Amino acid sequence: MKLSTLFAGAAGLALAAGLMAAPLKADTVLNVVTAGDQNMVDYVNDYLGPKFEKENPGVTVRAAGTGPGDAGSQKIYEKLSAQDKASTAVWDIDVAVLHQKMAGQMAVEKLLSRYADRTASAKLATRDTARNALGADVAGYVLPMFHSQIALAYNPDLLKTPPRTYAELAEWVKANPKAFGYNGIKGGMSGVGFVTGWVSANMDDAARLEQGAYDAGLKPAIDKALSGLKDFNRNVTLTPGNAGTLDMLNRGEIAMGPVWVDMFYTWQADGRLGPNLKLQLIGPGMPGQPMYYAVPAKAANPEAARKFIEMATSPEVQAEGIVKRFNWYPGIDAQHVQAKLDQKTWARLFTDVTPDELAAKGKPFPLTGYFSDIMEAYERTVAN
Amino acid sequence: MVALFFLYPLGYSAVSAFQDRGGAWTLANFAKAFELYRMDILFTLAIVLLSSLLVALLSVAIGGYLTLGGNRVAVTLLRWLYRWPLFIPFIVASQMMRSFLAKNGLMNNALIGAGIIEPLQAASLLDWRGVVVTFVWKQTPFVALMVAGAMASLDRSTIEAARDLGAGRLRILAEIVVPQVRPTLVVGLILSFVTMLSVMSVPMMINPNSPTMITVDMAYRINAHGDYGVANALGFVSYAMAGLVGWIYLRHGVRQGGGR
Repeated sequence: MKLSTLFAGAAGLALAAGLMAAPLKADTVLNVVTAGDQNMVDYVNDYLGPKFEKENPGVTVRAAGTGPGDAGSQKIYEKLSAQDKASTAVWDIDVAVLHQKMAGQMAVEKLLSRYADRTASAKLATRDTARNALGADVAGYVLPMFHSQIALAYNPDLLKTPPRTYAELAEWVKANPKAFGYNGIKGGMSGVGFVTGWVSANMDDAARLEQGAYDAGLKPAIDKALSGLKDFNRNVTLTPGNAGTLDMLNRGEIAMGPVWVDMFYTWQADGRLGPNLKLQLIGPGMPGQPMYYAVPAKAANPEAARKFIEMATSPEVQAEGIVKRFNWYPGIDAQHVQAKLDQKTWARLFTDVTPDELAAKGKPFPLTGYFSDIMEAYERTVAN
Repeated sequence: MVALFFLYPLGYSAVSAFQDRGGAWTLANFAKAFELYRMDILFTLAIVLLSSLLVALLSVAIGGYLTLGGNRVAVTLLRWLYRWPLFIPFIVASQMMRSFLAKNGLMNNALIGAGIIEPLQAASLLDWRGVVVTFVWKQTPFVALMVAGAMASLDRSTIEAARDLGAGRLRILAEIVVPQVRPTLVVGLILSFVTMLSVMSVPMMINPNSPTMITVDMAYRINAHGDYGVANALGFVSYAMAGLVGWIYLRHGVRQGGGR
């Protein structure tokens, strides 16, 4: 106990010394904290950070990740909310990269600053998601870093013509038990997106899930839409996580499954996924989401943060970093980015899912209230 | 230190299991936890009990062979090999099992290659079986280490006496050795039980779908819903399970101590 206390104390001192020493090296330290997988941290450390430091001498960019999925955004929220409640004068996050659900909540709770109006690239992001995050008004508080999309990946060696709609998929799964795999709702967002897409496909007024005000009266309709999923699940393979679905596709254990498009392309480019695998975006639609750049309300370096985001959302960086290196769909409107890219790179992003399909079948996730209802209804009726 | 970093959070989480988001007293968290996760609670208990049982059998077998085994090469080899999983973290073990136990994974490919099973018979073990296999693989060395140590320090004369009277090795193990090391075995199993109850990486990576272990559900409640109430209620259930085992252990200890 004594020894471990000593070690803990020493580690604490070392950490404190490190934190105090760091700002002395440069005039300004820009703390960028990002939710999401390790690739988000890599993106800032390997690409955005060095670029920004070169253009702004005296600034050091420091990146930290808080983990994948909404959980990562939740951690950023909890940190800022705690600093807010403790009435801390200056918060220690300058740029936050957030998912939609938390960005909306943080804008409502006044934890973010309205930086976007003064940022040049705001005019280039006109999609609905730049103003509305799952029902919350985020106009001015965020700029989209990228968009990502869920689609079905399939193995053309095992099936020639993939289903085009959820209804066709249900038929196909009946005829081919265990050949379709997805990761439920606790193992990552690709499974979650598949489930919300299922609900939209099996509801009469599905548009209400995406717009308008939340109405708890829709719960029975959601239960009804999910009722077929329990039977459906009997004939599918449940996979361990987003990566688990891709692994099983790659080993030929399943023929089809929902995946994130950017993850699919990145794995394929790294040789972790067979080059023959293809994508299909099924109707009436599957969800996608952006991640947002935001500046906390009491960031230590709000102006540097704004400049950092301005650079990160410029057409050049969106083309080179977001599309070319990381296979994400751009956060700002596509036409501004396309002009900065060679045709080959641009085409690679739209090989299987055309821009028209993306526009027609790429849906947002349901509003936060409906989203929680769907997840609970799934646990109650499908999983139990 | 203990009070600040252990007792305070423990008490806080136990109390907030009985509060709603506004701080009022309620049992709603438990109602929801049982409504949504009762299968998972039973599943968790079943998995951990089954794993503990298998760990007990295997660690007694390993300890027994180390103590009574006749082939010196085999004993040395086993002594050298069996501890390795101790040094591998749960999360690494799960990642290994993910590719080892998959339908077209290493194990099935090896079995198919050796002609033992047909390719069509290959099935994925990445469900509750995978969780049990990983737990047993990871925890057996820990208990075996304790048990083998206890067995090695036994008075050999009882074993020799039994051997002189013509008892077989299995009988010596079951009737002479195991009863003498039982307190050590029970302590090892209880520590394993509590460890397995608290592991999230293994079910998360091998079987995160339903039914799954409640650690996954706790993480999910917090991560997806920011719902600490239900997560703490599930945590309370898990304390109850660990507490029950701890109580059995204490009673056992008291009885042992009282007998002396």
